[in-house]
Amino acid sequence: MAQLIELPRRPAAAVAATTESLIITGAVDEWGRDAHLNKILSPLLRLRWDVSVGGLQHLPARAGALLVTNERRLSLSPLYVSWALARATNRPVRFVGRPDSAPLGAALRRFGALLSDPDEVRGALRHGELVVMAARATSHPRHAGPVDHELIGAAITTGVAVIPVASMSSVMGRAARAEVGAAIRPRRKRRGPLADLEVAEAVQRHLQKMLDELGGVHTGMAPIDWLAEG
Amino acid sequence: MGGELGSLVASLLEAEAWVGQLCGIDVDPPRRRLRKAEFHRIEPSDRERIVDVVTAFDPHVLIHLAVWEPHARAGTNHARQFTDQATTSIVGAAAECRSLESIVVRSGIEIYGRRKQSLTRPDESVAAHPTSDFGQMVQRVEAVAGAAGARVGVAVGSLRLAPVLGPHVPSPLGRLLRQPAVPFSVLADPPFTVVEDADAARAFVAAAQRRLDRPVNVVAPGAITGLQALLRGRRLPLPMIGPEWALTRRLSHVLGAPIPDHVLELMHRGRLADGSLALEALGVTPLVSTAAVIDRLYAWPSVVRVPKAIKAVA
Repeated sequence: MAQLIELPRRPAAAVAATTESLIITGAVDEWGRDAHLNKILSPLLRLRWDVSVGGLQHLPARAGALLVTNERRLSLSPLYVSWALARATNRPVRFVGRPDSAPLGAALRRFGALLSDPDEVRGALRHGELVVMAARATSHPRHAGPVDHELIGAAITTGVAVIPVASMSSVMGRAARAEVGAAIRPRRKRRGPLADLEVAEAVQRHLQKMLDELGGVHTGMAPIDWLAEG
Repeated sequence: MGGELGSLVASLLEAEAWVGQLCGIDVDPPRRRLRKAEFHRIEPSDRERIVDVVTAFDPHVLIHLAVWEPHARAGTNHARQFTDQATTSIVGAAAECRSLESIVVRSGIEIYGRRKQSLTRPDESVAAHPTSDFGQMVQRVEAVAGAAGARVGVAVGSLRLAPVLGPHVPSPLGRLLRQPAVPFSVLADPPFTVVEDADAARAFVAAAQRRLDRPVNVVAPGAITGLQALLRGRRLPLPMIGPEWALTRRLSHVLGAPIPDHVLELMHRGRLADGSLALEALGVTPLVSTAAVIDRLYAWPSVVRVPKAIKAVA
């Protein structure tokens, strides 16, 4: 007569399940972004920025895309744009511009920041990631600065869309806006690096047009404009 | 074939229909029961015997796993010496074989290095800039195999493995993480990835079958930071800022878990790699995620002491 013997189970699965629920952050994704930490700190970011997002229909559902946003100096627009878009689309949105040093670079990596390196951006885009990069920072909130054509080149060689995202925030208030535009379509098909330059210029033009359409006070004095937007 | 990974690869190859004869060389005997494989216990320095055995066998495929990770089974200097000797002898001998079609070598993602501004997740197209002893060792292994392959016209593939962890795999990282108290870099706490030994072994079998002719990263899905790893194992975290690492390394060495420079680099700068090519090039991809490998690392039983049965005296 056979006898049923219960063998001792390996505790791996049980340990994993228990620790998963107890530990604050169990793991990070393949780029070092910590989804759990992002979720926990989201209310803190909401204290600083109340971002209204528009134009989400322009974002690809699954494929990667390079999103180019304007930046007023020290406004941290890539951070709040990526955070707001991640919340709105429910997929991780990364942003370019972490320093390769601790502790700032290490902390930003947990939020999904990438190095400002075309190869790094190309790698992320190839894996279907949404990546936000900033145009060169300006002192005026409604001016779009020049766009780094080398990073645009990463998107072109990967074959993903380049999409302008107009962003506005206030120095004083919480109100902020991120408006996603339509993907840039170059006027001419180029085979070489000229495409990078032309698309970069087109993105800047589109961004400027979107910022103009968003309206606002233009006194010519940046501090007064900022206060007016609060 | 004597190491854990080698034994595992050999046992998987034995089960493959396309494999005829199997021959292995190592300094240690196999750790598994092998039914078909022929094993030769030869020191890596004994080049003449290695050449005799390899040329007499005349293989179609050479899988070169004889890479000693520093402080896994030997100190850094010995590891470098053994790896160099084994690579020169085995790859050199295989190049003399007329039937040889393919060479597959073990490499590591340490080959990319972690210098300033290095990519977060390098893929196979990124140039190698190793910044650790182990990285330089695997770069040399790839270079020697590549040169031999180009000379005799055979395909050379290299599998760049993330740190390999498994129940019986000697690993300085695994040993460090299983200490009761584990140091970690509090300011950086960068992410890293690993791969389970069984997944690495499957990758080698697939590489041999497909006659791989390029480098491929083999990394488990996902990543984890040092702090997250040791919290999963309920170890005591020892936060480190910088200068005290030197003392910690010495202390850890004394306590039986030496921290070689590539592990220290991992704890300071992280170690990730893009493993998406594996599916296309090998047809297989690691199944066990990094977090699960770490959980299994902590689930291995420690040394179990069985008390002697006391005979009852009448």
